[in-house]
Amino acid sequence: MSDQGTILRLAAKSLLNRRGTAALTLFSIAVSVSLLLGVEHIRKEARNSFASTISDTDLIVGARSGPLQLLLYSVFRMGSPTNNLSWESYQKIAASPLVKWTVPISLGDSHRGYRVLGTTPAYFEHYRYGSGRSLALASGTAFGGEVQQAVIGSEVAAALGYPVGTPIEISHGIGATSFHTHDEYPFTVVGILHPTGTPVDQTVHVPLAASDLIHQQPGTPPDSHAHQGEAHSRADGGHDNHDQTNNDHEGHDHADHGDETHEHDDHGGETHEHDGHDAAEQLGDPESITAFLVGLTNRVDTLKVQRAINQLPGEALLAIIPGQTLQELWGLVGMVELALLTISGFVIVAGLLGLLASILTSLNERRREMAILRSVGARPSHIFFLMLSEAGLIAGAGAMLGVALQAALVGIAGGFMETRLGLVLQWHWPGPFELMVVLAVVLAATLLALWPAWRAYRNTLADGLTLRV
Amino acid sequence: MNEPAGDVAVALKELRFAWDPGHPLLHVENLGIGAGEQVFLGGASGSGKSTLLALIGGVLQADSGSIRILGQDLAAMRQAARDRFRAEHVGFIFQQFNLLPYLSVLENVSLACRFSGRRAQRAATSGSVTDAARHLLDTLGVRGKLLTRPVNALSIGQQQRVAAARALIGHPELLVADEPTSALDHDVRGDFLDLLQGECRRAGTTLLFVSHDRSLADNFDRQLDMRTLNEVAVEHV
Repeated sequence: MSDQGTILRLAAKSLLNRRGTAALTLFSIAVSVSLLLGVEHIRKEARNSFASTISDTDLIVGARSGPLQLLLYSVFRMGSPTNNLSWESYQKIAASPLVKWTVPISLGDSHRGYRVLGTTPAYFEHYRYGSGRSLALASGTAFGGEVQQAVIGSEVAAALGYPVGTPIEISHGIGATSFHTHDEYPFTVVGILHPTGTPVDQTVHVPLAASDLIHQQPGTPPDSHAHQGEAHSRADGGHDNHDQTNNDHEGHDHADHGDETHEHDDHGGETHEHDGHDAAEQLGDPESITAFLVGLTNRVDTLKVQRAINQLPGEALLAIIPGQTLQELWGLVGMVELALLTISGFVIVAGLLGLLASILTSLNERRREMAILRSVGARPSHIFFLMLSEAGLIAGAGAMLGVALQAALVGIAGGFMETRLGLVLQWHWPGPFELMVVLAVVLAATLLALWPAWRAYRNTLADGLTLRV
Repeated sequence: MNEPAGDVAVALKELRFAWDPGHPLLHVENLGIGAGEQVFLGGASGSGKSTLLALIGGVLQADSGSIRILGQDLAAMRQAARDRFRAEHVGFIFQQFNLLPYLSVLENVSLACRFSGRRAQRAATSGSVTDAARHLLDTLGVRGKLLTRPVNALSIGQQQRVAAARALIGHPELLVADEPTSALDHDVRGDFLDLLQGECRRAGTTLLFVSHDRSLADNFDRQLDMRTLNEVAVEHV
């Protein structure tokens, strides 16, 4: 045992003596290990964050398209909806005794690149994420009756620096630079949500009717629409010059109106109720919505209701079970994940081969070292063990540095990933997986080092005590 | 004239060795070195010197014949036992570059005790192995700042003294020095030899000193030559 302690110490000192090349080899292993751990970390966190984005919703219903597409745009704000579904169909389904609650959602607008989601107060009541957590307001209120109110996600608030009461403009279409478009609608931020780690954080929520308005008839102020009814909104499709010039003027009006409303709210009870009443009157029913979430009275009915919706006569609808469609997504993404993991596995192999190469090339210049060790009584088996120790030490130190590197990168780049990609990377202490990777790398390096160790063993037998220069 | 007087440290009989059975490299009929004796072994390179030393050191295994060192037959031992025997009873000094560059001077000297419990024990009779190493180095003139220098920063003469200290630590019975002075300047050479011989004499260590430099031969109890010792060389020359 003390012999092996001696050998290990010699290996460490010998490595330190060649610290230039040893450090490079060590670092290449560290980088490859942190790559593998990083890929695995992102994979896990992405799955977690996807899986925890929506819960307690039994079905998501939209116009017939692909299940994945529906899931992605309705819940993850990815891609664009192709078709809307009619309000009539929605109402028909919502009225079913099997259905406990529904949350209509309407997409297609944006504010400074953040998606705008039109919905009803039911959204704040029924939407669940994580393990059944509901949305909570960090400040302000959920929207009541007034049309031009917005409740923004935590990240929107943080990124754009909006406190409650900020007037914002919402434009039709999705894109970061709709600044100079004419169809902008003034809204007021009334509430800011707590962070959820889901796409909700990057969403601007507005009342369904408001969203519907922006969609249906850019250039027409919401209140005039409310008075003139649906027929008008249908007829008024284009934006001619007249409308555009009008819009500038009316947009200004709106801003004023918004301020007024805010003041009204401050007056409290009666006024507020009056506003609510007013708004309900103004809103009317939208003509169509993008999708809606469904909670059932009894979960057992899920498949039955899903089938019924999919076969609904009159309109081609698609109902999906979120969990099931997520599984489909994993099936699809699984190949990519496997490919990424395989690639990073091969990068580790490359790092280990680099280690092998550096040991093999060092063998010749170290024959003297071996002969000296032999002359003071080291056995060929000691030399063999010395080579294995060196490989194990470099690989072990490299792998551990890789773990630290990856943890540090998550700490440093986590915030960036969250704001840019909406992917929350939870920092955590290295666990069993990291330990396993470190052990596997050490084991693989030691196995690979059997070759140079054997060659060193043969060399020492052949060289004996001859000191080769 | 190869017979020693008194106790025998090294006794070779009918020793034969060849890498390739068709080309014998070494054949020593008879060689004996007495305990405490200081023997000069001369011979040019290629005369089989290195092979002979590797056989005495137990690194190579003889094809036939016997190698008795301190009364034990190396030829009858397995490799691991020969390695252990070497670690415990034989010290080596080579021509140059004897030291491991990544160890300190003291560590280089103590290294000989790392693979031999017996030498460690004998070195540490009065204090630690490091104390013994420091004392030995002091006797050989390596002291003070030299101890903390990287071994590569020492002169060759100083390096050879460190190597001598390593070969001597723990009182091995036999010291084999293979051209230890060949890389030294002429005036350093004499000093080194004096110190080495003095230490061997004091410890009662048998010294087998190999060199092609015949001018040193007179300092030894006995002079041998590979040309007469190795029958193969005779046959081939």
